[in-house]
Amino acid sequence: MADNKPQNNKANQTLGEMLTERGVSRRSFLKFASYTASIMALPATAATAIADGLAKARRQSVIWLSFQECTGCTESITRASAPSIEDLIFDFISLDYHHTLQNASGHAAEAAREQAMEENAGDYLVVVDGSIPLANDGYSTIAGISNRQMFEETVANAKAIIAVGSCATFGGIPGANPNPTGAVAVSGLTDKPVINISGCPPIPEAMTGTIAYLLSFADIPELDHLGRPKAFFGEAIHDRCYRRPFYEKGMFAKSFDDEGARQGWCLYEVGCKGPVTYNACATLKWNGGVSFPIQSGHGCLGCSEPGFWDMGGFYKPLSTPTGDALKYAAGAAVAGAAIGAASAISVRSKRDKVMKAAAAAATTPAEETE
Amino acid sequence: MHSTGAPCQTENTTGMARSILAEVARMLDALAADGTTGSIDLRSLPLTEADRQQLEEMMGRGEVVAELELAGRSSVWETAYAGAWWVRHRGAGDKISSEEITVCPIPNILVTHPADIKAAALRIKQEILENHPSQAEATHG
Repeated sequence: MADNKPQNNKANQTLGEMLTERGVSRRSFLKFASYTASIMALPATAATAIADGLAKARRQSVIWLSFQECTGCTESITRASAPSIEDLIFDFISLDYHHTLQNASGHAAEAAREQAMEENAGDYLVVVDGSIPLANDGYSTIAGISNRQMFEETVANAKAIIAVGSCATFGGIPGANPNPTGAVAVSGLTDKPVINISGCPPIPEAMTGTIAYLLSFADIPELDHLGRPKAFFGEAIHDRCYRRPFYEKGMFAKSFDDEGARQGWCLYEVGCKGPVTYNACATLKWNGGVSFPIQSGHGCLGCSEPGFWDMGGFYKPLSTPTGDALKYAAGAAVAGAAIGAASAISVRSKRDKVMKAAAAAATTPAEETE
Repeated sequence: MHSTGAPCQTENTTGMARSILAEVARMLDALAADGTTGSIDLRSLPLTEADRQQLEEMMGRGEVVAELELAGRSSVWETAYAGAWWVRHRGAGDKISSEEITVCPIPNILVTHPADIKAAALRIKQEILENHPSQAEATHG
């Protein structure tokens, strides 16, 4: 935290040395590495390389900027739980600025950000949650500084940028139609590479796993066409959904209280966006692996996709034409045994075109789109 | 899991356990032949709870069991097939955070790292110097 910065003589300590002093054994590194390798779908044998990489890495300075957001992303990454292996990530980073979590406030908080930028120039990570309003700089300010100005001055000397949550990655809810603040994704305001970890909020493991990968390998993980780590966003929810066998058999819940819903059948017809949503909810799940929305009986909202708020209605099937946002899905019939996966592929293919267009729009500064 | 009462397709076996057993057999062959080690990440496989239980029963228990306390519980045991180890790590809320079958003479997690040995040597010297100075003199001649 900002008021707990390492002393100069400790500045060059590796994580291995630092944690050894605190009584944390290399076994803990290896355990964390096994966990990271598993959630990132790396070979189990990669754990040793990750543990070695982490032990040799320096504590990573992180500046976390929160703009037009709801703090749900922070809630997700700091989810309340007993101290555990998942929390080790907070020992690997020095969270030098986070205006919700840090002890300092006011001028002292901004001084901490400036100090971290100066002391770690070229080597700090910037994490951003929330979109940035371009219609008027006064719509969202921190310490009298507009979001745009704070973002631009902070990322100028950053090593890498991680956009967390659908607001920072694609504009999210602030950017939903009619987008009154001219909200844009952070990738639209910088030429630096941005790792997008979308979701409303993102799965905590997707955030911590990506940071651990950056620290271990000093490299960016493989990304999809929307800049998201493939390890977490490489497969559709539908592809790994335990209800998929019902979809293949054409067995669908027609409402949330019918026999199909009680039997745990596919939720496609009550609006599930799983077939067009790429995220790891079905495998990593939430709250420490307890459950995920579909397991709790509700369809996927598609929250990790661009423009999810304008996808035409959370309870309308993907195949329902609902105006502009869902023109792409109009041709796909409600799936049954006969059409099954082919329908999903058709919907997905058309959806990809629309999503790409939405992503491009969300990442283009407002004045350029007007 | 049955947190909502909705059927979650976790009650039935799928045949995955037998496939994994065959994979372990191939890995043990390689270990015996030329010392090649390997691991299977169980969390990455679409195992039902029934599959997991079936696999655990098929693999059985061998001579060694170790319990580790490091940021949550971990359990390591050698299966009935020597050289095939089951490693189960638990995280928040005692839930399984990662789980693998590793085929090797001894899992890395059980081996003491040189950095930890070095730190232990320093700590024990400090302990002797601070609390047993006469013994320190004797130790160092």
